[in-house]
This record gives sequence, C-alpha cells and structure tokens, in this order.
Amino acid sequence: MILKKSKSLLNILSTVGLPVLFGALIYILWQTKVLHALFGTDEIILPLPDRIGSIISDNFTNMLPQIASTLIVALGGLVLGSLLGYFIGVAGAVFKKWGMGGLTIVSAFNAIPLVALAPVINNWTRDLSNQVDIRSTVAKIITVTIFCTASMSVNAYRGLTEVKPFSEDLFASYGSGKLKMFLKLRLPNSLPYVFTALRVSVPACVIGAVVSEYFAEQVVGVGRQIRENIVKGQFPTAWAYIAIACAMGILMYVILLIVESIVLKNRRAR
Amino acid sequence: MSEKTNMPEISIKNVSMVYTDSHGNPVQALKDVSIDIQKGEFISLLGPSGCGKSTLLRIVSDLLTPTSGEVKVCGKTPKETRLEQKYGIVFQNPVLLDWRTVRKNIRLPLEMMKVPKEEQASRIEQVLELVGLTNFGNSYPGQLSGGMQQRVGIARALAIQPDILLMDEPFSALDEFTREKLNDDVLSIWRKTNKTVLFVTHNISESVYMSDRICVLSPHPGRLSAVVEVDLPRPRTPEMRATPEFAALVAKVRNSFEGI
Amino acid sequence: MKIINKILSAKSTVTAVWVLGIVVIWEICAFIVEATQRTPINVLPHLYQIVGSFFDTKPITGGGDTILTLVMSSAAETLSRALIGFIIGMVLGYVLALLMNLSHIVEKIAFPYLMIIQMIPILGMAPIVLSITGDISSARIIIAAILTFYPVSTNTLAGFKSVSRERHELMRSYGATKFQLYTKMLIPSAMSYFFTGLKISAPMAITASILVDTLQGGNGLGCMLSQSLKGSMTRFVFWDIVIFSAVIGVLSFYLMGVIERALVPSKRGKKKKAVN
Repeated sequence: MILKKSKSLLNILSTVGLPVLFGALIYILWQTKVLHALFGTDEIILPLPDRIGSIISDNFTNMLPQIASTLIVALGGLVLGSLLGYFIGVAGAVFKKWGMGGLTIVSAFNAIPLVALAPVINNWTRDLSNQVDIRSTVAKIITVTIFCTASMSVNAYRGLTEVKPFSEDLFASYGSGKLKMFLKLRLPNSLPYVFTALRVSVPACVIGAVVSEYFAEQVVGVGRQIRENIVKGQFPTAWAYIAIACAMGILMYVILLIVESIVLKNRRAR
Repeated sequence: MSEKTNMPEISIKNVSMVYTDSHGNPVQALKDVSIDIQKGEFISLLGPSGCGKSTLLRIVSDLLTPTSGEVKVCGKTPKETRLEQKYGIVFQNPVLLDWRTVRKNIRLPLEMMKVPKEEQASRIEQVLELVGLTNFGNSYPGQLSGGMQQRVGIARALAIQPDILLMDEPFSALDEFTREKLNDDVLSIWRKTNKTVLFVTHNISESVYMSDRICVLSPHPGRLSAVVEVDLPRPRTPEMRATPEFAALVAKVRNSFEGI
Repeated sequence: MKIINKILSAKSTVTAVWVLGIVVIWEICAFIVEATQRTPINVLPHLYQIVGSFFDTKPITGGGDTILTLVMSSAAETLSRALIGFIIGMVLGYVLALLMNLSHIVEKIAFPYLMIIQMIPILGMAPIVLSITGDISSARIIIAAILTFYPVSTNTLAGFKSVSRERHELMRSYGATKFQLYTKMLIPSAMSYFFTGLKISAPMAITASILVDTLQGGNGLGCMLSQSLKGSMTRFVFWDIVIFSAVIGVLSFYLMGVIERALVPSKRGKKKKAVN
C-alpha cells in the first residue's frame, strides 16, 4: 500500500514538476540570451523577461485603460455572440429541416478569415455615431460577436436535439407540450454543449478583440498597442502587451473551467 | 469429446487478483481460484458482473498479470503462449477495424504473424466459409449487422489457427434469436476444429447448452463457488433446451451461486 | 409531385435556398445603402458589382494588372506561404502527438503547454514574429505553422487515446510489436481525429497569412487589402479580396473533408446495412 501511495505521489510530482522544469529551462535560456542566439535576434527585439516584467509593473496603471477596452470588446462580443449563437441553435432545433441547412451556412462562416471581416464592419459603423470611440467599439464588438456565433450555434443545436434515446417519447407520454419538453428536457440537456462551445469561443473572443483592434479606427486596446509599439520600435513595451494579452486569454479560460466545474458538478459520470 | 490426458492444457493454480479502485481502496477481484482445463474441452466461466470472470480470462491470455498464483498453458507461461500466438480471442464487442473490409480484418493477425500471402488468402476463405460469411468478404463492418460482425470476430480468431479459443461474453450484446443461432454455429465450429474453448458468459442456459463443464464464479470477492459437469450428450441440438435434464442442470447451476 | 417533394427535401436544396436567401438579403441591404449613403461602395456594393469588377479587364495598376490578375498573383504569394506553414505545422503536430503517446515524460512536459497555446491569442503575436524574422514570408509560414500545429497535435493525441482497451488487447493477444500496433491500429484509428484538427487549422493558417500581410507592404492578399482600404487603389480590390478569402477559407475546410474521404475507405459513402 505504501508503495502504491508513493507511486501516486511521484505521479503528481512529475505531472506538475516536469512542465515547470521545462518552463524554468526556457526562462533560463531566455534570460541568459541563449534563445537570442538560437533565433538570431537581439535584446532589443526580444527583451529579457525581467525587463518585460518591470515594464508591466511600472506602467500597469497606464495600461489599465487599454486592458479595459480590450476586455469590453472581448466580453461584449462573447456574450452577444453566444446569445445569438444559442438563439440560432434554438431556431435550428425548432425548424429542424431548414435549421440544419442554416447551421451548415453558419459553420461555413467560421472559416471566413477574421481579417476580411473586421474592415468591412468598420465601414458599416462609420455613420453610426460622431464619436469615434463609440463607433469603433461597436465595430469591434460586432466582429467578435460574429467570430463567437458559429461554434455556439452548432453546439447549441446539437445539445438541444441530441437528447437521450426515448426521452422525447417519455415526455410525450406525459402529455407534455413542445414548450415543456423544451424547458425541462432540451434546455438542460444543452448545458454541457454550451460549455463545449465556450471552450472554443472564450479564446476566440480574445483573438477576435486583438485582431479587430488592428483594423479599428480608434487607436486603443492591448492588441493595437502591440502593433503601435512595434511600429515605433518600442519592442519591450510591445512584449509587455503581448504578455498581458496571453494572461487575459489564460485567465478567462481558467475562469471558464471553474464555472464549468461548478455548473456541471453533478453531470459528470463518476 | 474431450481427450483426457494427465497434463491439463491450461492449469490455473491459486490465482488471486487485487487492484485499487479510483478511491485508492483495494478490491479483491479474484480470490484463490484453481481450475484445470483439458485439451479440447469446452469450459464456461459463468457469473454475474463483478465476479472476476473476464479478469480470469485476461489473466489466462496474459492481458493481465495476477497478484499471486500461477497459470500454465501446456507447461508454459501465458506470456510465452501469447507470443507463440496460440490464443484466439473473441471480445464482447467484435473490435473490428472499420477502415478494413471483412477479409482484411481477418487478415490482420495473419499479417502480423508473417503468414505467406497465398496461405493468408486460403485461410481467410476457409474461416469465412466456417462462419458462413463467404459472400460478405468485401463488405465493411459498418455494413453488417451485430451478429454478422461477431461472426467476423470469431473468424478472425480462428484464422490464426489457435490452440485455445478465449471468448469473453461474445454474444451478450446480441438478441436471443441471434445468440442461439451463434451458439449452434460455435459448437459446430468447435466440433470441426477440436479447440480448447474458454467461454465467459453471464447467461446460465447458454453455458449449460455449450459446455462440458461450468465454473461458477461468485462475486465479492470473486471466487470459484462450484464446478458443474454437464452430461448432456453431444452434439447438442436446440430441442435439448426444452428437456427436463436441461432444466435440472440450469436449476443446479442457479443454486450454486453464493452471496449475490 | 413526388419528384418535386424529393428535390425540395434534399439537403443540397436546403443549403442552396439558404445561400440564395443570403444573396437576397445582401442585395436588399445594398439597395438601401445605395439610396441612403454617399459612398455606397465603401459600405456595401451590390454583389454583381463585386463579381463584375473581379472579371473587369480594365487595368488598375501602372503595371497593367487587372483586378483578377492582381488578386491571383497576391493569392499565390500568400496562400503558398500559408500552405508551407500548414504542412510544417501538420508534420510537427503529428510527430509531437506520436511522441506524446509513446512517452509519458514527453506528454507530461508538452501537454500543459499545448493547453496554454490554445488559450493565448497567437495572432496577436504576429507583429512581433514579423519583427524577429524581419521577413514577411517566413513570418507568414511561422504563424501559419503554429496555428496548425496545436489543433493537429491535440486532436491526433485525443485520437490515439480514444482507441478502446479491447483494441489494445486484441493487438497484444497477437503479440504485436509496437510498430505494428501503431501502423495497423493506432494511426488508422486516429485518422478522423487528425482530420478534425486539419479542418480547424486550414482556415486558420489562411487567416494568419493574410493578417501578417496587412502588417507590412508587399505583394500578398492582405497587403492589397489594406492598400485598397487606404484608397491607393479601387475599393473593389478590397471587396474582391474579402469575398475571395472567405471562399478560399471555406473551401480549405471542405477540401480537408474531401481528402479524408479519399484516404479513409470507411468514410466513403456508407452503403445500406445488410441484414442477418
């Protein structure tokens, strides 16, 4: 028994320890400029990690508005896109035959390059408002919304229609109407599928926000700062924003995983 | 049918198996099981879920290593026997490769055993005929019914001309009619090929119909609670299922379970 | 009557009606835009105008290029890099999945990082990759390769892991070597997972290459797109590239499905089940 326990302890140690060791190795290689030699670059373009860290800690208050702007776009688009996607999924589930075809089209939208989308939407919102920040934010949110819709609609459709065999018959035998069947069977059944969709669209919304900022009218946001600072040759600051963008992506994903584990706590098979 | 010699073909001696469940608690899957199986014998391992019957089959076929005890097959370890490719295994799920046709599925083990091409072809046709699927050689498994898929699984096991046929609840996913048909088919194949068969099932009448001897296993912990000799004459026929002798044997087997 | 019903209920008809519907909505919007906006071409031109401009024989550059030849030459430039990056990413991703399945240590080291790559906005790093390489073509290839790499890797690994215990036991009972286990069982079993990864990453590789284009002048699709947006050539170049890249993105997705059906026999049209 003791042998077994120590074995599982070793298992946990190696699961956590090996990746950490690998990360530490990369960090050391970076800090000691071995990476620079490897990529044939210099400290100006690829600054040392401690320099990036100090830039973030020194300028964090200045960076906050940029972060907030990106967050608003990412979350706004995520929420709107998910709602729209779910609604399309519901419509598809209600009008099954035609809905299915519609979903094929929607999932094809997924393959449209985001870079083609963002400028078009900029054009559309040009006359929306006199204030550049409002129309620019709206344009970015619409881009992210479209970017997040497809995966949610397809997954919602599957969650609403792929119920356990015979459960529709069971509900029919209770004499329950379509609405009841929807509320008590289809809706709860679709919940895990919603999280499957979110696992795709949460990272996607950050990417969408960052890229749509490249094309936006207003010069604001974490993504835009990456580009602007590179154009100005301020590579360390650009790296700081890259680090922030990555942190945002990871943090949002981790929050999603926590929420998922709470909401679906009792769903998982033991 | 069984040709009794002094040395058993398979000898299972004091085999125990303990594993830890997901909470880290030890579970005794098998406790001190000993069975001797003669060459050409048809033996059933019968019991409810959790009695360790599939575990025992996997120990014999060297897919699992017992915690204690010993298994010998013709005086050799299960591993040696496995590497000599003397086992033909049929699983509950036919485990067919859906990207290969029926013929190519049966060819799979022959490819690994480096059987010459011409012999591969003749053996495949031979086993296809044995299981009655000659016309379906070029079909894909996805196009076959469950019963036909399981026939392919049996044909594949027979193609390597194994000494021992291990069958792990091969018909439990099939309906009663298909199951009884396949019972007869397996018996006729067994009569033609004279292999030693270790047959795992949870169906009492199936085990009575098929076997020379039934090893009754009881759960918690998994143990051998009785061995029932089936003295019904061979060849068995479907009419026998309705005889009082058959019913008496079923009742005898049913009464030999402990602690369920 | 029966034939009409059959045609109406066919899946392709449903899709066709949807496409038609989208075209109609686009055109209605275009008419509204035409009536209300000062520069409708910037907001939403008619589809026929876009398609017409694409095949317009009037040269639009000093070099005598028409829109068609311009788009095609830029597409060759961008898409060839996307393809190279895609192939590199595919090979690396597959090899990593194999290594991860072969070695627990490799799996433990690499898996958390694969998860993290998934969460971070790689496209946001395009400008810095461009600065490091200093060369637009290598930057396109690298970004496309990274974006291809991790979906292929995670999906293929999932494919290897999904092979059932019984399939492993079957191979073990034959005394199969590791090589046989992989070539005859694991690799064919994981094929559809591998293609799922490719379907995700093919449009992403194209997106990535076009995005890198927009960051710098040059001859790619994205370069033309941003030049047209800035007004240095006709707006129709922009619209043509938008439509063209959308079509290519969607086609790349379907192309992976076509290749899969060609390679995996059991994916070819399932025939009727035989009865026992």
